Amino acid sequence: MDVRLANTWRLSLNEKNFIKTALLSDIRIDGRKPFDFRNIIIIFGREDGSAEVQLGQTRVMCVVTAKFVQPFRDRPNEGTLSIYTEFSPMADPSFEAGRAGESAVELGRIIDRGLRESRAVDTESLCIVAGKLAWAIRIDIHILDNGGNLVDAANIAALAALMTFRRPECSLGGEDGQEVIIHPPEIRDPVPLIVHHLPIAITFGFFDERVMVIDPTHNEEAVMAGRMIATINANGDICAIQKAGGEGVDQRVIMQCLQLATTKAVDITKQIKAAVETYNSERALQKIKHEPTCVATKVKEGQDQTLDNEGINELVGKYMERLKLISRESYASQNINDEVEVEPKSLRRGADSNGIKFSSAPLSWDPYSKGVDPEFLKASVASQGLSTGNKKKESSGDEKPETPGPFEDVNPNSSAVGASRNEMQVMGPKTLKDAVKPKNKRKKKGSSMI
Amino acid sequence: MEVDREDGRSQNQLRPLACSRSILHRAHGSASWSQGDTKVLAAVYGPRAGTKKNENPEKACIEVIWKPKTGQIGKLEKEYEMILKRTLQSICILTVNPNTTTSVMIQVVNDDGALLPSAINAACMALVDAGIPMRHLAVAICCCVARSGLVILDPTKLEEQKMKAFAYLVFPNSVHSVLPKGPPSVQGEPIENGIITSFTHGTMSVDDYFYCLERGRAASTKLSDFLRRNLQQQPTNSSKAG
Repeated sequence: MDVRLANTWRLSLNEKNFIKTALLSDIRIDGRKPFDFRNIIIIFGREDGSAEVQLGQTRVMCVVTAKFVQPFRDRPNEGTLSIYTEFSPMADPSFEAGRAGESAVELGRIIDRGLRESRAVDTESLCIVAGKLAWAIRIDIHILDNGGNLVDAANIAALAALMTFRRPECSLGGEDGQEVIIHPPEIRDPVPLIVHHLPIAITFGFFDERVMVIDPTHNEEAVMAGRMIATINANGDICAIQKAGGEGVDQRVIMQCLQLATTKAVDITKQIKAAVETYNSERALQKIKHEPTCVATKVKEGQDQTLDNEGINELVGKYMERLKLISRESYASQNINDEVEVEPKSLRRGADSNGIKFSSAPLSWDPYSKGVDPEFLKASVASQGLSTGNKKKESSGDEKPETPGPFEDVNPNSSAVGASRNEMQVMGPKTLKDAVKPKNKRKKKGSSMI
Repeated sequence: MEVDREDGRSQNQLRPLACSRSILHRAHGSASWSQGDTKVLAAVYGPRAGTKKNENPEKACIEVIWKPKTGQIGKLEKEYEMILKRTLQSICILTVNPNTTTSVMIQVVNDDGALLPSAINAACMALVDAGIPMRHLAVAICCCVARSGLVILDPTKLEEQKMKAFAYLVFPNSVHSVLPKGPPSVQGEPIENGIITSFTHGTMSVDDYFYCLERGRAASTKLSDFLRRNLQQQPTNSSKAG
């Protein structure tokens, strides 16, 4: 027992007094003002429905999954939403593995109240067959690093994950109309959840002498005398208020807190929406690039590091046969060249801003480092919109969500091809021999892009 | 024999590796390791006073906690914890800090095949970040045997499910010795040819297994180089108390 006590972290009396005295002069130990929120960084994972939020030193990861269940008897028309909070011992040495402590339960309940009872997530749309089958959404919150104010960070992570989560589309079919068909993601796009509004939790810490701060760090949490968590959405609706014990606070202070919370909620809502927008647009771009891979798979054999003239002849011959391509695919393949050039940078995605980053030059990863010259591509593309060997680069390279900037115009008309054609009219007629130049030419192109 | 891999790799190609250290603030050591889409986060706390009930108090003890991405903790997670614990016990020098516990926490961020090897690599990096004394590093790789008898390295999740059998192999990292007498060897073989851990699933012939070992060793040299470069690049932060 005393072993556990020996391992707990405690703030020394000097540090506590320092924090309290500094707060009397409106100074916080990390340099913020009392009503400043820390910087919020939202990073999305590889799959839909996974988000990680960094709020200063606090890191929280949230994963959303869905499965079929029978709906509850008293609510046969609704799906369910359940939140599982795990205070991993990774985050804080005092967290215990396995058993959820009381603060973990409290956090789960606060987020649950904000999402379910305020009807932020539409549960009626989750029902498939009334009384028999509905979606159960499960939200797993993993606390990775406890830098204070876990509730707010976890809330933002849960909202970000919910907004980017996609569930497979399903429809009723079969002879009696009662059979449920789940459409795989390749056939029909998965469907996002319906989220009516975003309830944002804002935590206030109260100290002696009527001092109040927003977004306490874990040092301040060890010193504070009471706290209040207000869950408010951008419209100014209060979804929940939690003040469990602690120092008594004047009602004017409470009103002030709520007004402050409304302004903060508006800011944070904007940030979340902006992050989700970027993610959605990247996802849409990735989907378009993914389409051609089904065409490319057949041509893999015989692809090798060195593409000499005969190789290219062969390739062009093979691809000449596939005439069904739309110009946007060729546009995509040109851009893939750009992407491969900046590939080592793209590995940085998902890496944290605070830590030490290191990405390897891919270990013999890119088999097309000596691949087909982009100018050759443009030449061949100009005639009929071919898919060339770059398709493979595309399928291997585009796992990275970094998409090249210039890819905006997606309509399948020939204007894209026309543009590229104009670009290299200057070159004049090219033969296949020209195609195999250019290590130096490609390097120049690479450097101009980076 | 050429094989069609979905992402266009050849049979001996690894996915792109990325690794960062010291990403968490409360943990004494932390590392994030990703191989392609598989990403694992490891954190280390320790050494902390006291050992668990059944552990030997004359040695340091290592405790592993594995957190899956979603769902309850089940037998698979317990098995991974046990394998990781035994692997790390064999590389750490346990006699330096007797009667202490070092806790290693693994959080799965994304699983796209070769999860246990990524976790072992991440745990190793996190231990280095925390400054736990170790004999050498552990380098883990996954090799699988296809139904056609072909051996491929570092499969994705889809590939793993289609394979006949796969093996997770952990080797010590390659040694660069400053002494003129050469690297330490055991009975004439260099130390990096030894196997620390081997975990197989499915049936494979003995020849296939030896072939996997060979391929695994070759790949582990590349991984060792990557680890060495990464560790030499940045010095660790000053020690974090509490």
